[in-house]
Amino acid sequence: MSDGFAHTRTLAELRAEDDGVFGGKSASLGELIAGGVPVPPGFALATSAFTACIEAAGLREHVDAALASVDPDDVDAAQATARELTAAVSGAHVPDEVRDEIARRYADLAAATGLDEPPVAVRSSALGEDSADAAFAGQQETYLWVRGADGIADAVRDCWASLYSAPALTYRARLGDAARDPAMGVTVQLMVDAEVSGVAFTCNPVSGDPSMIAINASWGLGLGVVGGDVTPDEYLVSKVTKEVVRRTIAPKTIEYRPAPGGTGTEVADVEPERADAPALDDERLRHLAGVARGIERSAGCQQDIEWAIARTGGFPDNLYVLQARPVTATGKGARPEGPKGVSAMSLIMSTFGADAGQKR
Amino acid sequence: MAATTDALGAFPSPFSIATPDGCQGWEEMYPYYSLFTAQRPADEDRLWFWNSMHFPVPMPPFDVTSIDTPYQAAGAWQHRAFRTPPAMGIDYRIINGYVYISVNGVDDPELIAERARFFQERAGHYFGNWDALYADWRTRMEKLIAHISDLPVPKLPEYEDDDVIFGDRPPTYLGVLDAYRTALSANEQMWSNHFEFLLLGYGAYLTFSEFCKAHLPDIPDQHISQMIAGIDVLLFRPDAELRRLARIAVDTGVEGAFVEGRTPAEVDAELQSTGAGRRWLEELEAIKDPWFNMATGDGLYHYFRSWYDDPSIPYASIKGHIDAIHAGHDVERPTEQLEAERDRLAEEYASLLDDDARQPFQELLQLSRGVFPYVEEHKFYADYWFLTRFYNKIREFGALLAEHGWLEDGEDIFMLSRHEAHEALEELCLMWATGGPPLGPQHWPPIVTRRRELLKRLEEWTPPPALGAMPEAVNDPLAVMLWGITPSRLQEWAQGEGDGTTIIGAAASAGEVEGIARVLRDHAEIADVRDGDILVCTITSPAWAPIFPKIKATVTDIGGVMSHAAIVCREYGKPAVVGTGRATAQIRTGMRIRVNGSTGVVTILDGAP
Repeated sequence: MSDGFAHTRTLAELRAEDDGVFGGKSASLGELIAGGVPVPPGFALATSAFTACIEAAGLREHVDAALASVDPDDVDAAQATARELTAAVSGAHVPDEVRDEIARRYADLAAATGLDEPPVAVRSSALGEDSADAAFAGQQETYLWVRGADGIADAVRDCWASLYSAPALTYRARLGDAARDPAMGVTVQLMVDAEVSGVAFTCNPVSGDPSMIAINASWGLGLGVVGGDVTPDEYLVSKVTKEVVRRTIAPKTIEYRPAPGGTGTEVADVEPERADAPALDDERLRHLAGVARGIERSAGCQQDIEWAIARTGGFPDNLYVLQARPVTATGKGARPEGPKGVSAMSLIMSTFGADAGQKR
Repeated sequence: MAATTDALGAFPSPFSIATPDGCQGWEEMYPYYSLFTAQRPADEDRLWFWNSMHFPVPMPPFDVTSIDTPYQAAGAWQHRAFRTPPAMGIDYRIINGYVYISVNGVDDPELIAERARFFQERAGHYFGNWDALYADWRTRMEKLIAHISDLPVPKLPEYEDDDVIFGDRPPTYLGVLDAYRTALSANEQMWSNHFEFLLLGYGAYLTFSEFCKAHLPDIPDQHISQMIAGIDVLLFRPDAELRRLARIAVDTGVEGAFVEGRTPAEVDAELQSTGAGRRWLEELEAIKDPWFNMATGDGLYHYFRSWYDDPSIPYASIKGHIDAIHAGHDVERPTEQLEAERDRLAEEYASLLDDDARQPFQELLQLSRGVFPYVEEHKFYADYWFLTRFYNKIREFGALLAEHGWLEDGEDIFMLSRHEAHEALEELCLMWATGGPPLGPQHWPPIVTRRRELLKRLEEWTPPPALGAMPEAVNDPLAVMLWGITPSRLQEWAQGEGDGTTIIGAAASAGEVEGIARVLRDHAEIADVRDGDILVCTITSPAWAPIFPKIKATVTDIGGVMSHAAIVCREYGKPAVVGTGRATAQIRTGMRIRVNGSTGVVTILDGAP
């Protein structure tokens, strides 16, 4: 790799075809940035960083042997192996060449934000699997509000270690030998101190209407909406006219926010008036719907998008897309059932009950 | 008789409806066959719903021709000509002056299948040759309108002129009787024309709408009609001309003549006093034919006059447009913009559909756009232009009867049924011929007085939205399309009044507003509507278009999302809830209400009963 970076690239440098090396999450964020979508800046670690760490720590043979021994039907043994490997990876020293790259990338981020130690999110960036598989395969870790190059290196190593959780080991062992030896990329992205955050689907996942953008929104960081422990506001916005055609305002009684020390997150109660107030107004809904529609258009398929609106900065500059992935990969989104491949005249005839005499 | 009244969700039996105090004898105003009678006990087992869309107030006896004649025509086409498979025609009954209707369904699957074969061939011919058939239809309607307008109603002279003796002119009384029968016959012809295309036109629209909702379950109704709506249809021309005239008035500095509260005659008097004013009046004169043939109401009643006869509505509208121009608004209808938006919507929705749904979508859209000019325009020709001329022709007969003392006033003819009016004319001709002592002048005036009093009292009564038995299914496409009669709507009606502060209807035009209610039960009250009122009425008529710029929202008792009313509401972009069944009964003028046209909920905020 260029510029003296062997294991990392900025997210902006990545494209879809890099997913085999940097994982799907990092590659798709690169695509979004290239498409002009407002994504928080950050960088990505390639699978080579993970390999380098295993090699440098002298763990290769040990890991290979342990992986080969996993019997998916022997839960106790798998758990013992998991404990052992997780401890080994967690205790491994992240090689200096990787630490150095993380530090230089982080310094660039700090320079861009003007903060000494800007908070970042560290997430695993799965290779190849869709999201349900990635969870089983141990590639769904997220660490929020991480600060400092050392903190990031630790969080990266924790992401890697998650590859050796017991469920991940047995899941992969079931898939066969080729899947036993895992690898993952990691995404490091500037944290958005979200006033509001949520999810946008570029269809109505309930009715399947492809002309709607379904938006969920709640106060604070997106953990609540994604994790399901807050009932979010639900909005339906027309893709075609950007009108808000339905809105259901929920009592959003808790929110996730940065912990007082500036590292990590905490849950807090939301004061009653704010809990019952709509998290998004029409202007924001329309704009967000436009951004979501744009992502769908360039991706060429329906998208499931995580977004956040920062406390600081004016709208719409403070709106960020944190992640976008195909709706089909999430296992949601019905297609509505309607008549297809029939002539207009036969449909009109059936309106009048004249379709081969069948009653409507 | 089946016991239906105590079943869950049933409606009152038509035989259980009491006559309001002081209204005894109301039945004398209507045909024997229009009454609920023990001789037809099965009426109790059918669903009857109040057709408040077309007949919101008690029927004057003459105006029964606007029930009989249309339902003859509708059934003749739907049942006897096209053989619409699941539904024959519509029966009507009158109770306490109000019109209830019921559909004659076809239940036998074999019969439906047999009818379907004919229907496909016959309706297919119309869809396949729509443009040519519609062009011919317009020609026929214009001829018919000229025919009724030019029909001479002779005065009965003291003695016949020489030309009866020396020329070939027949005796005058023949002309009187012949003209009367000709007027009725022209009306029958008009209604036949009216229903020739109607069902098919609405059917295409409904099919497109249902197709959209199947593939795009959350699509707002407004977008469906926007994709189909004609941009330059006739029905919008009258108002477009008024907007243009308002612009000319402002540009030439004569708009000061339009003062709130002035009559059209007072406005004209000031305009006549200046050169610019006179030029403006010439412009107005030039557009009157045909655009002043709009009616001030929905046309079916004799008192819905044309703009010619009652210019107060177009004048109020011009005043409203002038105010809007002063406020800096662009009052011209941006047709190019509307057309571009219509095409954009259609393209975007098409692009969002699955590949194998796109083709039928586009075919249906094209077909619906093809038939839609008729759907929107037939009302101008039939209900407005022809009917206002027809009723004016009947007024000439009323004047004739009044001149000879049979009636005290020409308008009294509408208190007689069309057969009674014929009878009175027969007697007039007889007495004119014999010179003997007439009975009519003693016979008719007390009847007229009694009936005027009856109608006034019957107006105080609020008809239930439906009577009789709850049906298992609603099979008539017209009932669904025009009246919004769906099983869920019937359930809502049957569930009754609730707590009295929430009224549920169909969401017809999106948006939510609060404001003061203005309940209109009669078109004559249109002049009372103030800026920012929420219009509450049995049904809005497109002919009321001029007041739409003033009002905030509309609530109606009855109507589907595809009724003309709903289409025009959406055109004006005001929230609308239609088909509530009882808004005019529960809401009083002056109450503060909230209208949510996106959810179909109307809330009475204060002044609740």
